[in-house]
Amino acid sequence: MIEVSNISKQVKTTEGTLTILDGINLSLSAGESLAIVGPSGSGKSTLLGILAGLDLPSSGSVSLNGQDITAMDEEGRAAVRAKTVGFVFQSFHLLPGLTALENVALPLELQGDKEALKTAAYYLQRVGLEHRTTHYPRQLSGGEQQRVAVARAFACRPVILFADEPTGNLDTGTGEKINDLLFDLNKEEGTTLVLVTHEHNLAERCGQRLVIAAGRQVAPSTDVTHVTRGSTA
Amino acid sequence: MQALRMLLRTWRGGQLNLIIWSLVLAVAVVTSVSLLAERIERALTAQSSSFLAADLVVRSSKPIAPEWVAGALQQQVESAQVLTFASMVYHQDDMHLASIKAVEGSYPLRGLLRRTTTPFTTDTSLIEEIDYGPAQGETWVDARLLPLLNIELGDEIELGEIRLTVSQIVVEEPDSGGSYGAFGARVLMNFSDIEAAGIIIPGSRVTYRFLMAEGASGADGFARYSEWMEDQLDVHDRLITPDEAQASIADTMDKGRRFLLLAGSIGVVLAGIALALASHHFAAGQTRQVALLKSWGIAASRVRSLYLQQSLWLGVGGSAIGLLVGFAFSEILIAVVREWLPISLPMAGIRPWITGLATGLLCLAGFTLPAIWHLPAQSPLAVLRDDVKVEPVSSMARGFLGVIAVAALLFWYSNNVYLSLAILAGFGLTTLATVVIGLLMLRVGKTYGEKLGSIWRLASSNLWRRRSQSIIQMVGFSGAIALLMIMSVVRTSLIDEWRWQLADDAPNHFLLNVAPYELEGVRDLVTAQNLETAGWYSMVRGRLTQINGEGITEEQRDKHESFRRELNLSWTTALPEGNKVTAGKWWDELDLSGDIAPVSLEEELAGELGLEIGDLLNFSVGGLIFQARVASTRSLNWDNMTPNFYFLFPEGLLENYPRTSMTSLYIPPQQKLLVNDLLRQYPTVQVIELDKIIDRIRSIVSQVTSGLEVMTLLILSCGVLVMFAAVSLSMSERLQESAILRTLGSSRRLILGIQWVEFSVLGVMAGLLAAIGAEAAVALLQHYMFDLPFSWHPWLWLMGPLAGGLLVGVLGVGYSRKAVTQPPLLVLNSL
Ligand SMILES: Nc1ncnc2c1ncn2[C@@H]1O[C@H](COP(=O)(O)OP(=O)(O)OP(=O)(O)O)[C@@H](O)[C@H]1O
Ligand SMILES: [Mg+2]
Repeated sequence: MIEVSNISKQVKTTEGTLTILDGINLSLSAGESLAIVGPSGSGKSTLLGILAGLDLPSSGSVSLNGQDITAMDEEGRAAVRAKTVGFVFQSFHLLPGLTALENVALPLELQGDKEALKTAAYYLQRVGLEHRTTHYPRQLSGGEQQRVAVARAFACRPVILFADEPTGNLDTGTGEKINDLLFDLNKEEGTTLVLVTHEHNLAERCGQRLVIAAGRQVAPSTDVTHVTRGSTA
Repeated sequence: MQALRMLLRTWRGGQLNLIIWSLVLAVAVVTSVSLLAERIERALTAQSSSFLAADLVVRSSKPIAPEWVAGALQQQVESAQVLTFASMVYHQDDMHLASIKAVEGSYPLRGLLRRTTTPFTTDTSLIEEIDYGPAQGETWVDARLLPLLNIELGDEIELGEIRLTVSQIVVEEPDSGGSYGAFGARVLMNFSDIEAAGIIIPGSRVTYRFLMAEGASGADGFARYSEWMEDQLDVHDRLITPDEAQASIADTMDKGRRFLLLAGSIGVVLAGIALALASHHFAAGQTRQVALLKSWGIAASRVRSLYLQQSLWLGVGGSAIGLLVGFAFSEILIAVVREWLPISLPMAGIRPWITGLATGLLCLAGFTLPAIWHLPAQSPLAVLRDDVKVEPVSSMARGFLGVIAVAALLFWYSNNVYLSLAILAGFGLTTLATVVIGLLMLRVGKTYGEKLGSIWRLASSNLWRRRSQSIIQMVGFSGAIALLMIMSVVRTSLIDEWRWQLADDAPNHFLLNVAPYELEGVRDLVTAQNLETAGWYSMVRGRLTQINGEGITEEQRDKHESFRRELNLSWTTALPEGNKVTAGKWWDELDLSGDIAPVSLEEELAGELGLEIGDLLNFSVGGLIFQARVASTRSLNWDNMTPNFYFLFPEGLLENYPRTSMTSLYIPPQQKLLVNDLLRQYPTVQVIELDKIIDRIRSIVSQVTSGLEVMTLLILSCGVLVMFAAVSLSMSERLQESAILRTLGSSRRLILGIQWVEFSVLGVMAGLLAAIGAEAAVALLQHYMFDLPFSWHPWLWLMGPLAGGLLVGVLGVGYSRKAVTQPPLLVLNSL
């Protein structure tokens, strides 16, 4: 489902070239789940972005669902994203002018789905928000907003769901509920799940764990707090 | 469809309000002004037609060619022939050199004749309005002819070989307004009696008029016919259009119209700025949505098409609402100015609607599209990282596009290069000054603000930190203020200029041809009524006999009646008020001791007579000949209703010739009977009654003025919209900062104080900078558009900063009050 071979990412900054990721390899089959863990600034979000085809690695290749997305142009990657990928973000990214239902329906509508609103209502019910469909994001709590975001992500029936610290902004109890939701849906829909997290229990629930420190893949048991970033001037 | 749905949702979310309002207002202003202008234009043409008694007139010294009449008949254009000449009329032993007017049955083609059977009456219930002239064998005459010939209604008078029965008193002819030429009493008769009278023989001085008006063939048919007619004219003929018929009203109306145009143009520019600001704001709010769309795999091309479609819907929808609002507004404006339009206002054509729609679409293309152009390039990575942003189209390029759009609109809309350039220049100067001086002032403010209290320190460093936004806001503020200044200055000076016309005691009657032996009596009559004249002017009646030693040719005589008539020659030391020397020199620069006297001519007449500075003229006054050299030409002021003179000499030359006197005076309506007493006792005195015309001018001026006020209000609301757009530009950032300060426990005083200082400083600077642009634009406009003298406007420099600071400050603080009245969390959540 996801094949990553030896990717690295460098960016140019005013202080020289900064290596954010270096030599990451990874393989994940359909329906599995993967946790990307590591300290803040270690490159987790960057990696997620590359896996999801939102960004390109400086070297190495990524293939999703058997297609090498690093060889495609932006248009091609957009097409793959549209068919295969769904997202849940740390800061929810709901559109403030749309109701919960419309937020969930929007990606479906953009795909030309005639049943968009119906499907959206179904997934809102799945996340337990059937009574909040006409509410705007500002009228919802953080947990509720994230549940709307989860419903939106699953409503498109993605093959792979990417989540960047989906519970990072929520209290532990609420976070647990969101996590349960993600894994339930992962099981029921057979969705492959890739999530970035700081939380130990969440990482434990995943079938596979990728630990990175300062941009490098390390063995899951390594004490990651002492690894420092290698940078070339 | 998806695009429309997205647009409607965005609208529901309130993010489109500013854009839609700006668009609606731009379209509404343009539509209402064009509708109004076009409808009034049409009504005015119709109305001036009544002053001609026709839509078009040819005046000729030759009989009207039968082909013209036949052509009119064939092309279904209405026509009438009118003859005027002077001839003796008799009754028993009495006679009078009357001013005869013979009219065909269809006269008047436009406007109405007023007649009565009660001589000298002013009672309107006794006066009848009709659209035909006297029947064959009948004549309608001036009331003063009755005492002159000692006759009563029903008596017969002799004219050449025939006798005509005096059946009616003619009170007013539609086409007599402002006629200074006729000294004899009017005798109106039927055209078909002329031949039998046998008074027109070759060589008779007759003026032939051919009146034409739109008939069954409609406007197109009339246009075709009049075009054909123009090709037929020769030196003997002169075409008179409705525009020329009423010079004094035309000038007021013309300036009113120009003001309307100016106000409309300013409205367009203001709405354009508002739209640009609103679009900028809108685009900033859309970046997150675009990033999200792209993360879902929506291709850039699809995003672009979605936004283009939304813009199109926005343009069409906004313009449609704008057209409706504009229509409603024009109806309101018309309701205000309705009274002085006696005829119903014709409907406007399609053009104003097209203009309105085009404005909407062009504004969108010039302001909104450039502002959202970069959106599709937004990287989807922005959903993961906040620092990923695309650069919008550079503000230089956007400014350039905006200026092109505004310029195109201005030119197309006003059809006037000066007006467009003046507005562009004023606005450009203001923008330039704002960017350059504004930045400097912000810098200086930051440096010195640090030494001041905490509010000032925070505010000035905020302004500097947000400087690019501050500058954009300031451009909005100063642009709006400058344009409003331009409008109010022009409005004020126009209204000042017209004020005399609204003065209650402006002269409304002229008394002419008062003989020296009558002067005492007439004066007594006037003073007995407690009335005051504008002073008595003497004049001598003389003929022009030679130009540069050559006699007046037959051809010249045909061409202009001043070559065949006695002219009014007058004298003065000082240049009369309102006159301007347009060529040559006035007395004070001349040596007056020479043998040949200088003479000063009215400029237009000089042109018509083909006279130039230095020409030597011979005048004959009662058989005595004297010479004069053309020393200057003058333009006259026809607006002020005081006596005007075509031929002016220095003092000490004409005093010994037989002279008559003239004056102008104000006769209040309730003392109007004085005119009748005067005419009964002194029938040879000619009275020109301008009271009706003056009343009309006055009501037109006051209505035009209130029209201007309504328009000013509309434009003001455009200005406030711009301010609003500019204020809201930085609002979410400011509210966020305020909410954070609030969370940290800052007092209401500090938070609002900072906002107050920031906004009022921006407003004061904007007001000051606006004065620069406004002063420049006003100078251009006054000179090229409104014929007003240049003047400084110190109050602009004072009021600009004051009003700017206050208005912007109040708006800004009002807007950000939310930050202190609501709990900080609520504020942060709603952003
Ligand atoms: N375009 C870029 N330019 C400069 N530095 C970048 C860029 N992208 C990422 N970085 C840097 O690379 C490092 C990794 O960033 P990334 O966002 O992937 O970290 P993260 O593991 O997701 O951290 P967190 O847990 O705090 O979200 C950071 O130090 C970040 O500042
Ligand atoms: Mg991260």
